[in-house]
Formats: sequence, structure tokens, C-alpha cells
Amino acid sequence: MTISIWRFSHLILAILSSVFIILASVTGMILAFEPISNQFESYNINDDTTVATTIDNLSNRYDEILTIQTDENNFVVASVITNEGESDTFYINPETGKKIGSLIEKAPIFSFATNLHRSLFLKSTGRFIVGLVSFFLILMAFSGLILIVKRQGGIHRYFSKVINENFDQYYHVIFGRWLLIPILIVAFTGVYLSLEKFALLPETTISHKYPEMLTSEIDTTSIASFELFKTLKITDVKRLEFPFSEDIEDYFFITLKDKELLVNQYSGAIVSEQDYPLIKLLSQWSLILHTGQGTIFWSMVLFLVCVALLFFIYSGFAMTLKRRKKVGIPKNKFSKDTAEIVILVGSETGSTIGFATLFYNALLAHGKTVFIAEMNAYTTYKQAQQIVIFTATYGEGDSPINATKFINLTNQTPPNQPLEFSVLGFGSLLYPEYCKYAEVVDSHLATHKGFQQQLEVFKINNQSFNAFQTWIKQWSTANGLELIIKQPLETLNSKYTRQFKVVKRTNLNNDQTFMLQLKPTKKVKFQSGDLLAFRPNVNEAVRQYSVAKIGDDIVLSIKKHDMGLCSSYLSTLNIGDEISATVEHNREFHFPKSSTPVIMIANGTGIAPFLGMIHQNEAKSDIHLFVGLRKKTSFALYSGLLDQAIHDGKLKTSQMAYSQEGIEKVYVQDLLIKQTEFIAKHLEKGGVIMICGSIVMQNQVLDKLRHITSTTLNLSLRYFEDNQQVKLDCY
Amino acid sequence: MKKIRIIIPILVVVLSFMSFKSLTESSKYKCMIQMTNYTGEGAYIVISLINPEGNYEKTLYVKGDDDEWYNTVESWWDFYGKRRTDLDAITGATISGGERAINVIEIDNDKLDKGYKLRFETAVEDQDYYTSDVEFDLTSQNVKSKIEGKGFIRYIRMMPQ
Repeated sequence: MTISIWRFSHLILAILSSVFIILASVTGMILAFEPISNQFESYNINDDTTVATTIDNLSNRYDEILTIQTDENNFVVASVITNEGESDTFYINPETGKKIGSLIEKAPIFSFATNLHRSLFLKSTGRFIVGLVSFFLILMAFSGLILIVKRQGGIHRYFSKVINENFDQYYHVIFGRWLLIPILIVAFTGVYLSLEKFALLPETTISHKYPEMLTSEIDTTSIASFELFKTLKITDVKRLEFPFSEDIEDYFFITLKDKELLVNQYSGAIVSEQDYPLIKLLSQWSLILHTGQGTIFWSMVLFLVCVALLFFIYSGFAMTLKRRKKVGIPKNKFSKDTAEIVILVGSETGSTIGFATLFYNALLAHGKTVFIAEMNAYTTYKQAQQIVIFTATYGEGDSPINATKFINLTNQTPPNQPLEFSVLGFGSLLYPEYCKYAEVVDSHLATHKGFQQQLEVFKINNQSFNAFQTWIKQWSTANGLELIIKQPLETLNSKYTRQFKVVKRTNLNNDQTFMLQLKPTKKVKFQSGDLLAFRPNVNEAVRQYSVAKIGDDIVLSIKKHDMGLCSSYLSTLNIGDEISATVEHNREFHFPKSSTPVIMIANGTGIAPFLGMIHQNEAKSDIHLFVGLRKKTSFALYSGLLDQAIHDGKLKTSQMAYSQEGIEKVYVQDLLIKQTEFIAKHLEKGGVIMICGSIVMQNQVLDKLRHITSTTLNLSLRYFEDNQQVKLDCY
Repeated sequence: MKKIRIIIPILVVVLSFMSFKSLTESSKYKCMIQMTNYTGEGAYIVISLINPEGNYEKTLYVKGDDDEWYNTVESWWDFYGKRRTDLDAITGATISGGERAINVIEIDNDKLDKGYKLRFETAVEDQDYYTSDVEFDLTSQNVKSKIEGKGFIRYIRMMPQ
């Protein structure tokens, strides 16, 4: 399968450099503690002390001062000749000139880690490798940035919500976008420091002009009364070298953050002043930013970068391996010219191929001749009668990488015989251009002479298997077939698997619907809106139910399907029976924490999570409930709980729509249109809308909401979706 | 007891003679090393006393405190590596391009003007090694002068304390 150049280079660079990045990150984590541990030494000093004060006090204590330095931790270091004639170097209190400690020796662990970090114990070769890997890291950060921008649909959506498809991918993106800047800083400074070590930066030496001095010019001022020394603060001085001898041609040599000074040792006059060139200042900043010296905060950031890099390597490779497993388009049994049905797949990450493969296998099992290929492989098909397109959308409505040429190809190579076509789009409602490319392909083919639309374009949100089944039904009906597609088995997250005891089960009502109350035998954390995954037996696919939390119990509203193994089984449970099921957290669909007003829209058993949320609304947030049911009698199942909630002030209003009552069929979306003003106001003041129920209902409701926002508020619904004001849980 | 009464005065005399001897026979010098503007790691610098036969007599100062790099100062390593005398008191940090360092070194007075030499050896990681970056006769004139270097050292200056 073809993958985009960005993803490909991101991966190749990672493969090339992973071992070194692991080494550098682990040692980097250790080294991050060096500035931190140094900062805990209490040699920090008063920032306001002047150079004059320090020199004055220091010269009273010692025979001669050689240098005074402020090190990277902001500790003042003096190098002196003691009254005994020995040279000594130590930390001083610059206010008093008193020795306050011996120099911190670099701990062996830090020396070891430093060496491994910058040269892998390979001297120049190692330095070169580390520098190159830093450069690769810059490239990876850029390709990563582009991948994030593309996946989010534009730079302005860089920080919008990411869809949690799986752990590795989700956090790879989440951490990636937050740590992009620190990672770039670490990588750039790493490269810069390497260039400096290899002397590859432009040469920049500064040289001082030494003036001709005559002995007669000597006018002696005491050092402590030099104007410069009285104004200069010791913390601004990186290094102050005292004159070697009393010769007038020996000067004070002062290094500040951005320049060097030569100072006459008798008059205190600055005889030469040279600013550091940019290259040198950049070197200083590179060192500070790369090592975090002197700041605990930045050291912590660097530590996090190291941890994140390790995580990126793990999650990146985990993703790649998973993708490799699922991306393959199946081997064809029939050639392109013998197949009657052709399936073309447009997929960016490979998940769409999974659905296409299920369809392909189901058709084969039905004895159909089928041919499957990537969309870019489109060509003529001699025996084909119809073409079915499964496609994802990339970024802002672009084609996925293996479908880029499809539209051109259909123009260049029109089919020999008219072909019927259906387009199935895969995407996520969280992105603004939901299934856009599927629409593009559909409308392109619809206007193409060689093609005829068989089914309208069908969109599937977040890989919903139920939505896929719905489409399969439509397609089967249109083609007079009875396709059966089995959902692939998933593994359940055993950490949240529990035994549940049946506390209560109602009888089936006229809609074949019943309520089931389950008590976990061992404590498990969940909220209304989470999912309970249940598998009637090991060979069956998992079925998920939205749960209501009432007390500590889980309450489900279930519709029994005649063919449904799962619902049939649950409908026969008796009080005291135990079942094993798994709680799956569904953070997207939790009740808002603050006292935001909420409009709840449900049809059928979709009401379940709302029952729990209303029940737990102790804060008495404004809740307005809209429910679509078949008959008035359907309502009986919920009336007890809802009446009580209205009485307790936990539910503000509730409205029902009945689709099988009387002559006029009323659906829940019809209630909304009557409340246009109310809903618009609700959204405008930041209220949340939660929708739970069937996909068909969801699409109808979203249509109505779109209409309401665009006509009344002159805003697209997307605006409120981006603002997290619309929450969906539909199946 | 009698014996001790005799021994103590003798000891006092002997010890004071010894300490007197060491006091009179060595002097301290301030020594400044000014490096050239090379780029790269800090330099390892060893200051040694060379006897008239041209052999190492004594290590006076070592700039560089990580002994895993001592063997890069090759010629001196042949002398020091076998003996591994204690260098703690005469060791300081490395110095890099453009920097200067001032140290105090101690030289016996009877080595002055007797054909002895002072040698400054330098080595920089992954770069060059200079056996005698600076080398000069240990004369009473030279110990208060400035001497140019041939390698990483631009010049050294000496001054009696």
C-alpha cells in the first residue's frame, strides 16, 4: 500500500535514528537532573552586589585575586592565591568575600551520561552520529508537524480535538503537538552545538586593540572605587580576570554576557570594548537551552522531552506494526476482466481496507466474482457490471494517498460498458470535511457518462460497524442478495471486565424493549454515557450498550431483536443471574462537569444514558429532554424515572414524539424545528446538545440543527461542534 | 626514660633542620597560560620538570582532572603512567581556546640555573598533541618572563611570588 511521502520520511528517519534517540533520551533524562541537583545547593546569592564590594571584601581576605566568575548556576566562584601562597578556587558569598563551599564535583553518573550523550564513547565518530541524529530529529519534527496539520485539516485546527482511534496514535499526536516546539529547540541546539564542536560555524574571533601606554600616564585610583566596578553587578559578570602583574600593560579582562572589556588596572578606564558576534551569542543560548543549566523549569521540560521521545519511538513503531498487519488488500481470486463486481478502496491509514475486505469476502462467499484494488489502480473492467467504492477522506477533503489519480483516470479511461456505482465514505464527524472526498467522487461519477448511481453516497462515522451493516442491508436489497457480514472479534480490555449480578429486569413492552439493572460484584469506575460491552459467547462479536448509572448500578435499555443473539440472551436473564461484561469509558459522551444547560435528544433505547445523567443531576443543571418513541405505551418504561426527576427539579422539560401513534408520524427531529428559537439561544449561551440513538436519527437531527444555526445564528453547526457543544453517541 | 630525654632533643634538631631545609630550598611562582583561539574541547596541559639528561624529573602541574584522558599526553604518560604518584594537590580544570589560567607552581631553588628545563605538554581530544608546546631552560631570568608557545598555548608568563 502506498503511503504519503511525509509519513514515509517520518518513518524512515525514525528507523534510522531510533537506537541513538533512545540512548540520547535515556542519558538526557539523567542529565536533566544535573542542573536540578546543582540548583539545590544553596550557593545562590544576592543579585545586587556590585563588583566593587566583592573585590574589596575578597582582597581583604586573600593575598591575591586571580579571577572571579559567575557560573551557569549563578554561583560566584573566586580563584585566589591564599596568604599561604597556595592557589585555591571555591564558591564565595560575594557580599562578604567569604568562602562558602568547595566546587561541586561532577558526579561520575553525569560524566558518564554526558559522554554517552554527546559522543557515545566514540569520540569524533560518535559526535558526528549524534549531530546527524539531531538533524534527523528536526526533519522528523517537521514531517510530524505536516502530518498533524494534514490530519487535523489545516493549520488553524492544529489544536482542535483529536479522534481517539487507539492509544498509540492518539497520544502520539497529542504529545507531538504540545512538545513540537521544545523538541525543535532541543534538536536545533543539538545540531548547533555539534557544528560548533566540528568548527563548522563561521569563524568569529574578536581581538582587542592594546593601546600604547606611557608610565607617566599612570594615575592611581583604588580598584574598589572604579566607576565601572561600582555600577557593575557581580551576577552580570561571567568572568573577571585580574591583571597578571602590576605592569601597566596587564589589564582587567572582563567577560559579560554579550561583550568583553579590557580595563586599565590603575585608572579603571575601559580601553577596549568588543561586542560578541551573533554566532557566539547563539552558542551560549544553545548551550543553555540544550542543557537547562541554571533553571529547574527548563530542565523539567527537557526531561519531559526525553520521556516523550521514548514514547514516540514506542508508539510510532507500535502503530507501524499494527498498520502493517491490517493494510494488505486481499489477493484477488478473479482477474480484473472476469469479475462482475469491482471494489475500489481509497485509504490513508488502512482501516478502510478492513471494511472493504469484509465486503469482498462476503461477496465471494455468495459465489460472486469480485475484484478488489486501490482507487489509483482504476482501469477498464471487461465483465464488470458495477463498481463499489470505499473511501476515506484525507485532511481538508483531499483524496487519500492511494486515490489521488482516480478522478483523472476515470476521465482518461472511461468504462467500456456503463457501470453502476455506489460510494461508501469513511470519516469522523469531528472533522469539518466529514467524508468530503466520498462526496466528491460520488458527484464526479454521477455526472460521468460511463457511470450510473446505484445507491446514494453513504457515510460512516468513526468506523461504526452498525452503520456499515445498515449500508450492507441497503446494498443487499438493491442487488437482491442476502449478504451476511460478521463483525470481527475484538479483544475486550480485561482491566474493566467484571461479573455483574442481575438486580432487576422488566418484561418486554410492546416495542420488544426492556430494562435491565446490573450490579457489579466488584467495584468498577463508570459514568452514565460509558459503554458496557458484552459478548454472548466467545465466537460472537461484542455488542455495546450505552449505560445509565443509577446508584452504583448499571441500567440498560435494550431492544430485543428476533435474530439478535445478544439481546435475546439478555432478555431471558433472571434476578440473581451473573454475566461477565466490560465497561468501556466513553469520555466523549459524559455529562458536562460545570452547570452548563443541556439539551438531550434520543430515540428508542438511546434514552438510557440520559436516564442516568438526569438521575444524577444533583446540581440541578437545566436539562431539556427530547425523545422519539414508537407509541405512547413505549413511554411507560421510563415514565416513573422521568416524572420523579421533574418533581425533584433534576429535569426541566421533556417532550415526546411518537412515530406510530395517530395518522401523523412525528419524529424527534420534528420537535426540534418547533423549538428553533429555544435551541438557537441555548447554543448561543454555550449550552450543550447530546444526541443518542440510531444513526438515521442522528443524521436527521444534525440536519435540522444545521438549519437552525445557519438561519437563526448565521453560524455553521461546525462552530459549535468545534466548541465541544455537540456530543454524539449513535449506532 | 633517659633514652627518651636524649631522643627528643635530637628529633627536634633533626626535624627543624629538615623543615628549614625545605623552606629555604623551594620557591613559588605564579604561572599564567594563555591559550590560542582554537575550537574544540578543553586542553590537557602538563607542566613537568626535565633534568639535564632530558628525562622527566617531576610533575609540577596537571590541567585536566579526568584521568581517563591522561594517556593522550603521550610522552609524559610514559613517565607518570608507571608510577601514578599522587597528583591531587597539583590538578586543575582544563582550559579551552582563548582562555587563560593562572596557577601557582613550586620549584626547588637548587634546580635553577643548573641545566633543568620546564616543559608544557598539551593535548586536545580528537585534535593534536604537542610534546613541547612550551619548553625553556629553568634560569632565574626565564622564571620572570613571557615565552611563546608552539601549539595550543599562545604564551606563558612566569613570575616569582
